Parts: sequence; structure tokens; C-alpha cells
Amino acid sequence: MLRPERMRRLLIAAPKGEIDTIVRELYRHNVYHIEDFVPESESAEALSIGHPLPGASDVASALNDVRAIENACGINPDNVETREKLPASKVREMIRTDLPAILEEVKGLVATRSRLEARQKEHEQRARELEPFAAVPLDLDLYHGYTRFTVFTGHIARDVSIDVPHEKYFSDRVDGNMIVVVVQNEYREQVERALLDAGFQAIPVPEGTGSPAENQKAHLAEVQSASTEIAEVNKEIARIRERHTDFLVACDELLTAEVERAEAPLRFATTEETFITEGWVPDDRADRIRQALEKVTNGRIYIEELEVDDAARVPVEYENPSFASPTQVLMDIYARPRYSELDPTLMVAIVFPIFFGLILGDVGYGAVLLFLSLGLRKFLKGDEGRMLLKVLSFASISSIVFGILYSEFFGFALPWNAVLFSRHLNIGGEVHGHGPQVAELMIVSIWIGVLHITLGRILGMINARKFHHGKHATKAVIANAGWLGTMWGILILIWSFYAIPMMPDLTGFPVAIAVGVVLLVAGVLGIAQENPLEIVELPTIISHVLSYARLVAVGLSSVAIAMVINFIAIGMMIEPQLEAITPIGVIAIIVGILVFLVGHVLNTALGLLGGGLHSIRLHYVEFFTKFYKGGGKKYNPFGMKSRFTEE
Amino acid sequence: MVDFGTAELTLEMVQASQLGMRALGAGLAIGLTGIAAGVAEMAIGSAAVGATAENRDVFGLVLLLTVIPETIVISGLVVALLLLF
Repeated sequence: MLRPERMRRLLIAAPKGEIDTIVRELYRHNVYHIEDFVPESESAEALSIGHPLPGASDVASALNDVRAIENACGINPDNVETREKLPASKVREMIRTDLPAILEEVKGLVATRSRLEARQKEHEQRARELEPFAAVPLDLDLYHGYTRFTVFTGHIARDVSIDVPHEKYFSDRVDGNMIVVVVQNEYREQVERALLDAGFQAIPVPEGTGSPAENQKAHLAEVQSASTEIAEVNKEIARIRERHTDFLVACDELLTAEVERAEAPLRFATTEETFITEGWVPDDRADRIRQALEKVTNGRIYIEELEVDDAARVPVEYENPSFASPTQVLMDIYARPRYSELDPTLMVAIVFPIFFGLILGDVGYGAVLLFLSLGLRKFLKGDEGRMLLKVLSFASISSIVFGILYSEFFGFALPWNAVLFSRHLNIGGEVHGHGPQVAELMIVSIWIGVLHITLGRILGMINARKFHHGKHATKAVIANAGWLGTMWGILILIWSFYAIPMMPDLTGFPVAIAVGVVLLVAGVLGIAQENPLEIVELPTIISHVLSYARLVAVGLSSVAIAMVINFIAIGMMIEPQLEAITPIGVIAIIVGILVFLVGHVLNTALGLLGGGLHSIRLHYVEFFTKFYKGGGKKYNPFGMKSRFTEE
Repeated sequence: MVDFGTAELTLEMVQASQLGMRALGAGLAIGLTGIAAGVAEMAIGSAAVGATAENRDVFGLVLLLTVIPETIVISGLVVALLLLF
């Protein structure tokens, strides 16, 4: 909690004979983060990168086959629900016996399908070429084979009259019209000019004999038959998918694991007889894996725990209570914490939903989003997506709670007055109870900002001691305290000049002015002693605190939109019509209902975007900049959680 | 004779007109600062998207850079709310 999981750095050395056993054991435990071995050219000892285990290339090519089949059948292992775990030995057996046959079949089907598709395209093309000619009552063989005549065929903007002896067919039944003109060769240029003046575009005469319409029909029939056959093949592929999905994803998993294991030595350092690997293991699992390794190798292994000298090299894994762990996805979007710094996930997990609720405090919208986040869980299979949905469901619960406090339901008032401050705007002139208490809400948001930023700065002081050493650490701590002092100094000065509701009233105490000035001056000095250039950043103190006003502003805008929708839909369209129902009135009522539905759907989307983005932005920009660096390396243990197979 | 030339200016009318002016001022404060923030974020945003496409790790940093001009519209918002309430 509040810091990444503690890691231990292990060095494992063993004879090459044990490499297979050790890799297998490490893979099974799925906790060892391998630090890749990088050979140094100047290294005195003859260390080199290891070679893949025997059989690696066979496994890799089998995996390729499996992936090819999955691709052709449109199977994505991430989206497959686990029905039952297949025993690994059985899967191995089936890879030898069944896989080649399936591969052959799928390859054959895919080849057939692409041949059919090519045929379909070709006939479609032919039919398209014939289309303009079908409008002219001439057989295709009448278009060519003349020595004394020239045939013009093409699209034209309008019909033209030709003043030389000719034969002409014009049709406006096709797109761009169709004209066919046959003239003697000596009039050729003259006619061509006349045609070009009318926007003539020549099109070539398709090959073939007989009536174009019949030809076209034949081609279309071919297209039809090809697409039936394609559908047939697709059905066949779907049948294979239906029957073999479980087996294929199990193969994929098993082979992927084998390839990863076989290629692990590429990340180890080896000498002639031994291999060495360095890596990271979570603190609480280190002893267990040590014992396990010693047991499987009968002690033919040397394990040493190395000191953690450079915190930047340690892989980072979150360690959070289960309710906070979905929020890690929001942290990863920004940056994973470094090993040495505070992990603010827990704070974000608590504060983010509160901000979201403050902005989108509406029982109706909250309920819609809650159902949405629960319903989408079935369709989103990825880990990240699921975590985001969990964050959303927490946020929407908070939204419902705040909706009860604000007394809001899709912009309508609930049967009680707002427990917190009211956000009911005077839209449509029918405000009940309290009007909007915007000033109070603003002051609350400023308070939230001041406290949130103060928390950030305090965390900044703690982090500063972890990032820097000696004199520099002290300087950084003082600078953080300086920012804090400046902010509170400004606040106290404001309080001692103006009496602001819901904030301490210090107007009667001259001492307060002195305290404020001292805090302000000391704070500025504290900032300047670390880096005088930071002074130009002083206005951010005010802008960052005021930035929290968006908690009110974005929320009010969503309330306003909701109330406007209600007023237009109900107040202006539905209610007046209900007094005396007429046929036009019924239409108006239906339109009103449509406006109501579309408006609220849009406003839900806006509320989700506004509430989510602005809350997370307040964390990223206003909160994290005070203390958080991030940029830790992701802990990526060697191994896999098996979903479809079991040993 | 009835004099149509001068209308009587009652206190209510003055108050209503002042209220309207305040609303106008608030609207201008939000609208103009919104345009300003948008113009300022335009270039930063497109550069930020480009940078993120090249390297996803800079997302946090470029988000910070993109939202810096939002300060403008926040001050506009504060002014508008102070005018209205």
C-alpha cells in the first residue's frame, strides 16, 4: 500500500544440464522477472548469450500453424471464454495427431475461398462493363469487324444530332447515358468532334458474342453461384471454429509457453558449462522459489541474493487493496510509479469517484452508467477494459450517492430538498425550493482544491527525501514546504482582508496579516533557494486552486443541459398538447419524447466524458505535478497464467 | 395630450437591464476565454497527439502541456460566476 511491492534481486547459477528443469520451474511459478543479459564487449570473462533449448524451432513452427488457423477462423484467444481446462498431455497428443489434418483442411478451405472470391470479382467486373451495352438493342458481334465503318461507343452528356449518314442508338436509361454511333470512315473526324463537344467519353466494347443483356445475366448468375459457394465455405470454416476452438486456444497457450521456455536461455549469460541469470522476485515469494529451485535440482544450483543498488532498475508491481487495484489502469495511462516513490493509486481510487460524483451528481445518470458498466463487462474481455469498467462502476455509485445529496434525477428534483448545496437552476421559470447555490459550491470546490494540493505538497516532501540525497534532499523538502507556505500565506492574506462565507473570517485580526505576509515571504524564499527560476511558476498556485472550480462548472453545465432538455421536451412540447389532444398534438408529443430520449443519451455521454476526464485531469495535472515522477519499469514475470490447459 | 416621447424609467427596468448586462458580460467572459483556450490548445494538442503516436510513454507529459492554456478559460469561468452570483 502506498508504495510498490518490495522486490528482491536474485542471481541464479547452475550447470547447463539443469537449464531445462530450472526454466520449467521458474515458468511454473510465474514470479521471476528476468533481467536480460547484455554481453559487454570488454568483459574479461567469456560470457555469452545462451542458445535456445533443442526443439525450439519445431515448436515455433507448430505455433505458427496454430496461429494461422486461428487467423483464418477468426479466433482470438483473448476473447475466448474458458469452458474447461484440457490436460496438457492430451493437447500434446492432439497436436501430433489432429493438428496437421485441421491445418490441411483450413488451408484448403481458405485457398478455395480466395479462388472463389477472385472469380466473383471477375464476373462482377464483366457484368459492370456490359451494363451500358444492355441498354442498346445490338448484339455484341455487331460492334466490330468492319473495314469501312467506325463504331463509337461511350457515355455522353446529351443526345446529339449528326448531319452525315449514320446509324445511332441513344439511351438515357443508364448512368451517364449511352450512345452508339456507326459512320463511314470518311466522316469519322467530323462525327468525333461533334460527339466530343457533347461530352463524349469512349468506353471499350466488351468481348463476347450474342446479346449483352443475356451475357450480363450469365455473369451475374456466376457471381451469385460464387457467393453461394463462398457462404458454403464460410459455413465450413465456422463449423471448424465451433468444433476446434477449445483445442486451438489450448494449443496456442501450450505452444506459446513452450516457445517462451525454449527461448529463455537467450536472456541468460552462459559459460561453457554453466549459465547465470539475474532477475527480480517479489519479497514474499523469494524464499518459496529458492526452495523450489533447490529441490528440483537436488541442490545443483547456486542462488545468491544481490543488493538492490540502483532503484531505477527494479521492476515495479503495484501492491494495493483489491478495491483500489482497478485504478492502476488510470495510473498506467499516466506513468507507472518508480520503485522508490510513493504509489498514489490508493488516493486516486478514493478521490477520483468523489470528484466524479461531485461533477455528475445525478441518480438517473449514475444508474444508467452503473448498468452500462455492469452490462459491458460481458463484452469487454481485455484486462484493461475490465479494470476501466470497474473504475466506472465505482464512479457511478458515487454519482448516485451525490445525486441523492443534490436531489437530482435526470435534471428533475427528487421529492426532497438538496441535502448538500442545490444545483437546481432556474430554467423554465419553475424552480422549487432553493435556487442554485453556486457561490457556496465554488467555495467548497476551492476548499477541495486547497486540501488536495496541500496533500500533494506533503507527499512531495516525503518523495523528495526519496529522490535526492543529502543537501539536495533538504533543499527539495524546503522548496515543497515553500510552495505550501506561499499558498497558505496568500489564503490567510485574502481571509484577513475579505470576509468570505464558509471560510475563516480573519478581518478583525491584524496578526493574521503579519502571519500571512511572513508565510508568503518565507515560502517564496523557500522556493527560490532550490531554483530561482521557479519563481515564474508562482501564478500556478492560484490557477491550480481555481482549476478545481471545474468540479462545479462542469457539473452545473450538465445540470443545465438536463433541465433544458426536460423543459423543451416536457414543458414546451408534451404538456401543452396533453390539455387537448389533436392529431398534430400527438406528433408533437412523439417528437417531444424523442427529444427527451436523444437529449438525455447525449447528456449521459457528455457527463461520462466531462466527469471522467475532468476528475482524472485534476489528478494528473493539479495533484501529480506536486510530487509524482513516475516512469517505473513494468514487472513482467517469466511465466503465464494458464487459462485453457493444465499440467 | 399624451406625450409618447419619454418613457418612464422605473427602478425595475433599470435593475432588469443591469441583470441583462451582467449576463452578457458573463457570456462574453466564458465565450471569449473559451475561444482563446481553444486557439492556444490547437497547436499543442496536434503536436501532443503526434508525439504520443511516436511514443506512448509521453502521454502523461503531453497531457500536462496540452491543458496548460485551460487556465485562461478557468479565469473566464471564475469571472463569469462572480458576475452572475
